[in-house]
Parts: sequence; C-alpha cells; structure tokens
Amino acid sequence: MIGVLVLSGFLGSGKTTLLRRLLAAPQFSRTAVIINEFGEIGLDHELVEASTDHFIALTTGCLCCKLRSDLVETLEDMLRRREEGTVPPFTRVVIETSGLADPAPILQTLMIDANLAGRLELNGLITTVDALNGADTLEREAISVKQVALADRLILTKSDLAESGSAPLRARLLGLNRVAPLHTADHGCVDPGVFAIDSSNTNAKWARELLPDRSDLHHGHDCEIQTCAIVRDQPIHAVTLSLFLEALAEHCGADMLRLKGIVHIAESPGRPAVIHGVQHVFHPLEWLPRWPSEDRRSRIVVIGRHIPRRWIELLLTGIEAEVQEAGRMKMSANA
Amino acid sequence: MLGELLAQSLIAWRLDGTVRNPSDGSVLLACKGIDIRVQAAAPDLPFRWMVTINDRTRGAISLIAVLRAVRSALDPNYAASRLRIAFPRVPS
Repeated sequence: MIGVLVLSGFLGSGKTTLLRRLLAAPQFSRTAVIINEFGEIGLDHELVEASTDHFIALTTGCLCCKLRSDLVETLEDMLRRREEGTVPPFTRVVIETSGLADPAPILQTLMIDANLAGRLELNGLITTVDALNGADTLEREAISVKQVALADRLILTKSDLAESGSAPLRARLLGLNRVAPLHTADHGCVDPGVFAIDSSNTNAKWARELLPDRSDLHHGHDCEIQTCAIVRDQPIHAVTLSLFLEALAEHCGADMLRLKGIVHIAESPGRPAVIHGVQHVFHPLEWLPRWPSEDRRSRIVVIGRHIPRRWIELLLTGIEAEVQEAGRMKMSANA
Repeated sequence: MLGELLAQSLIAWRLDGTVRNPSDGSVLLACKGIDIRVQAAAPDLPFRWMVTINDRTRGAISLIAVLRAVRSALDPNYAASRLRIAFPRVPS
C-alpha cells in the first residue's frame, strides 16, 4: 500500500516551502507529489525542485470542488504510469492542496474511492499555520479553521518572523484541535520524521496519542468547533457502535468534521476496532492486530461544529442501555 | 435521560424550543408551535416508546427512532438518511 499525506494550510502559510524542504530529505525520496493551485496557471510546481526520485503532477482549480474526477483521475494516472515504469517507483504520495481547499472532501475521496482502495492508504492530514498571520487568518477565513480542526499534525511556520510570541495563536490552535500534535518549523524545516508515518502503524500511533490521560480533551472548544472525547471502560457491543455512528452521521453529518476512535468491541476483546469518519463518510472499520498499549478503554474523539458534547454522550449512553436491555430480554426469553 | 437527550438534540439541530419533564414520566417538547410528548410504551406493546405529535401517536422501537420522529416533525429540511454501517466480521 502506498501511503498518502495531504498537506493543507491557508494561502501563504508555507506549504510549498515545507514541501520543498521535505523532498530534500532522504526519508522523502521516491515521493510522488500532487500540487493543486487555485489559479488557472500553476506556479508552485516550479518552486518545488524535483529530483529524479520524485514525480510531480499539477492540478489547477480547487480540488475540493471538482474532486471526484480530478484527484481520482490524477492518482489513477500516476499509479498506472508507476506500474508501466514510466515514472519513478514512488512509495509515497503527498497532495499539496490549494490554500482555499476544504480538506474534508479530499480525505473522503481517499477513504472511499473504490478504484483507489487497496492501492493507496490515507496516512493523514498535515496543516500549516503561519505564526505571523495565522491568528488573523483564523478570525477571517472559516476554511482555515476547518483546515486546522481536521488536521492530524499542525505545523507552525514562520515563527522566526513573528515579532511577538505565538502563545495566543498556539492557544487558539489548541482550542480548535486538541488531538493533533503541534510542531514548529524552523525556517521551513521540520524533522521529516514528523511526516514519515508508517502506514501499517498509523492507527496504533494515533491511538496512543488519543488520550490516555488527556482530560483537557473533554473541554476543548473554540467558538462553534468542539473536540469531544468519549471514554468507556466497559467494552461496547458492535451493534451499539453501528447504531451510534449511524445516528451521528444522520443527525450531525455535515457538522461532524471528523471522528476517530479505537474501540474495545465486546465481541472482539483481543483486537480493537478503529473507526474513522469525515462528515457523512466513514472509512471501513479496521481491526488492529492487537492493542497498541495496556490501555484497553474505548476512546472516541469527535471534532464537530455546534454539536453539544453532552448530546454525543447521552446518545451513546442511551443506545448502550437499549442494546443491553434487548440482550437481557433475549436471554430471559431463551431461558 | 430522555428529556436531556431531546433538549440537547434541539441544540444540535439548531432549533429553539423547550423540554419539560412532567411528573407522569413523559417528556414534553414544544418547538415551532408543535407539541410533542414522548413516553415509555406499555409493556405489552412491541415498542419501547410512544411519540405523540400534535395529538397523533405512533410507536418507536428505539431512541434513534424517537429522534427521527421528533426531528421529522420539527425540521422540514431533514431527510432521514437510513444510513447503515455494516460491521465487518469480528476477527476470530
């Protein structure tokens, strides 16, 4: 499986600089890059120096708006050419989105497109934030808030240019997304290890990052966007989880920016289930081969817009109670 | 718990309304001029809940069905998705 990283961030937040530095690192050799620019004439690909190990494709227009066709076609074309041997045998794909792009439909496409499934695997979303202008951008541009809220990693760029400290911006970022680790780029450079996510271990990694003792997650909020973490000590029945996810998607689909979870399923005590969702779209559930740590609690994080944390808790609790009651009734009927 | 869930649901759906818990165990919801009563179904009925919307009563088999009935009554733009999330085989 070829891992895919999506690099997001508002206009001028340093995505291309970061990408250029990353591609120079040995860890990022044999990387295929898709650069998407909003204007009809792309420039960014000229700024990213391609070595013989790299392969760069360019799309113009906004990926998130005409995504199903353009992105999928570009990826399929890259894979076909890789198989034919007409491009370097890349082992990773980085998609640099337009600064105005909504990352959600991009993630959804990578998660669900049948033609790409089995060949590509979404590793995560990295979002750059400009330390100099980031706070103002977050105030003015709703799409930048979403880019931050959905991220798996946040990279603070241009911190060397910010005259005053970046503490207020860091606090704002923490309020928007308490799950994503925040890294600081030094003159456009970040330890490439931050991005070199092992596809086979991605879920285990973030499962470790999710909590275990991040009680602050329970209270994270910024304006309408909230991060809600649910922890359950007791295993959850598979049917409970299905009904819960269905209800979330049905009633809050567009407002549910992202959902991640590692769940102790009652019917599968040794192998936890990993769940991913972006708005209405859920990634096929995945079973981890084993628990990534001693912590065997179910942990579900929902990043949502205007979704009360209490509503999510009550919904799960109510469904759990009904499923347990149904189980008791079935047992007594069989007795 | 049902009353609080309905009150929180109104917030999630961005609807203004009130939720009360009378002493008879039912939950009364008022929103957009519509009155809704939700109460536990009698044990001999094949439903868990009974939902009365403007004097018309119907059964609901689960909390999810209650939420669907209530929202359908309050939100003309709501279209129940009937999404089903299939669970893959539990590993042996």
